[in-house]
Amino acid sequence: MNEFLLEASGLTKSYDNGRIQALRGVDLRVAAGEFLAISGPSGSGKSTLLHMLGGLDKPSSGDVLYRGRSLFHSLDLDAYRSERVGFVFQAFHLLATLTALENVQIPMFERKLSARQRQEKAEMLLIETGLGERLHHYPNELSAGERQRVAIARSLANDPEILLADEPTGNLDSENSARIMAQLSSIQAQRNMALIVVTHEEEIARRAQRGIRLSDGRVCLP
Amino acid sequence: MTLEPDRSFARSQRVMTFFRVALKNILRRRLRTSLTLCGVALGIGAFVSLVGFSDSFEQQWLKVYVNSGIDLAVVRGTFLNTTIDESVGEKLRSMAGVSEVVPIILNLIDVTPDINAVFYGWPNDSFEFSPLEVFEGRRFGADQPEIMLGEVLADSLGKRVGDDLVVQGTTLKVVGIFRGGAAFQEGGALMPLPQLQRLADMGTKVTGFHVRLRPPDNGESARDHVQRERRLIESALPGLKAVPAAEMASNNQGVVLIRSTAFGVSCIALLMGALGIANTVAMSVFERTKEIGVLRALGWRCSRITRLILLEASILGLVGGVIGLGVGWGTLRILASIRATANVAVASIPLLHSVEALAIALTIGLVAGFIPAWRGGRLSPVEALRHE
Repeated sequence: MNEFLLEASGLTKSYDNGRIQALRGVDLRVAAGEFLAISGPSGSGKSTLLHMLGGLDKPSSGDVLYRGRSLFHSLDLDAYRSERVGFVFQAFHLLATLTALENVQIPMFERKLSARQRQEKAEMLLIETGLGERLHHYPNELSAGERQRVAIARSLANDPEILLADEPTGNLDSENSARIMAQLSSIQAQRNMALIVVTHEEEIARRAQRGIRLSDGRVCLP
Repeated sequence: MTLEPDRSFARSQRVMTFFRVALKNILRRRLRTSLTLCGVALGIGAFVSLVGFSDSFEQQWLKVYVNSGIDLAVVRGTFLNTTIDESVGEKLRSMAGVSEVVPIILNLIDVTPDINAVFYGWPNDSFEFSPLEVFEGRRFGADQPEIMLGEVLADSLGKRVGDDLVVQGTTLKVVGIFRGGAAFQEGGALMPLPQLQRLADMGTKVTGFHVRLRPPDNGESARDHVQRERRLIESALPGLKAVPAAEMASNNQGVVLIRSTAFGVSCIALLMGALGIANTVAMSVFERTKEIGVLRALGWRCSRITRLILLEASILGLVGGVIGLGVGWGTLRILASIRATANVAVASIPLLHSVEALAIALTIGLVAGFIPAWRGGRLSPVEALRHE
């Protein structure tokens, strides 16, 4: 059995007929249960790399292996995103028409769960993230920190092995940033998940077990 | 302590379903959704009321034949605009299966510059008088310059028994006012056949003959009996058609014209409704591009996104259809309350029409939503997430 959960090799991504090179041959290995930080300046390719690890975007060349199987050639990407990966975005990306409880249930629609089971699980996750009193509030009725905690609860809906967070504290003040990062670290430790956080904040990068730094689409600090 | 209602409690009572997600998406733009529903409702309302009206019109024609006990109408080719010599009546009367024959004339005549009406020329002993109630005056004489007015026409013209009515230069005495029969008979006038022949320069011609048959004496079904007599008449009188009453009601030119108009106008109205849904759903998909990217990132398959958008379009179609049934029923009710159309329009919608209307509404929803749904389902998750 392969010892790495994710292995990226020779990842490149170019846009505009090759005029823009977002990634220029990135190699990366992530073990199960590892907390990895990907840092670097804006435009260095951090989010592009994260999208590829999450099966949202395909590389121009290179491949990502999940437990030794090619993500883009051997696996059903929808099933991979639904069952193996959880996403947390900088802008939260909650659905405005749904309450916190309903937002958390959205990923569970792809699983064979009854409406009642979905609701119970979502309720449990929101209580776990400290939002037990805010279950039936809409995103516009929540603070930025609360919204990100709903997004974290949502990312855990299908018990993923990998949690991908793209600048999860980018829209938060320092107090909420610290709280969110503490929550992510705690969840990662409790669930023994791989947590990959993209950030340009050194403070957050230091919390990780391991960090890599990207610059101009290349890994410059392993 | 505040006295504000706890809205979150009401929200907590609802279980989240796929349908609920679609419903919430539709309700996020309430004005646009309302306008779209209005478009669909008008389309379905037009369909229901126009088709209902044309059906009622057909039923009125059928009523003419059924109430008078007419089994066959003998005409040449088409109904309204052809003539047959009156002498054909004698040949029909001599046929073994024929019980009674009356010649008739139907003519659309301008009574005033604003009012035209169907004039019926009947012999004064015609069996077609039987369903009519002459509630004022009397039946006309055999060949007198006299006329009987339907109740609706008498009201429109402001004429009563004893008044004179000048029709195409001929002065006729109003001798009776009647009701009953079919709606357009109440909106028309009855004249002695010879008088109408002279008025319309028809000589000895008539529009056709209404025939009552003898009852079958060999255990034959009524339908088979009518068909057999029909063939006998048509073979004995080449060039003429003997048309059963029900067929005459549904295939005469007036009914066909109204039905075609109803169908055409309904199609245009339904097309407008469908375009409304297509526009709304396409706009909604465009506005929600980023949201679709989020759903894809959270593992929703293309097929689920497509189904969600199609469900939204179907809800719009179906809800619009239900409102449209109300609009159609309301329109028929208004028509049924207006004197001029009261006897033609029936303020009820047959179950079959309701089902048809809802099926059409659902279909236009699905068809209109198909392309936006297909495009929404095919959005690349990362491209959708980048969408501003």
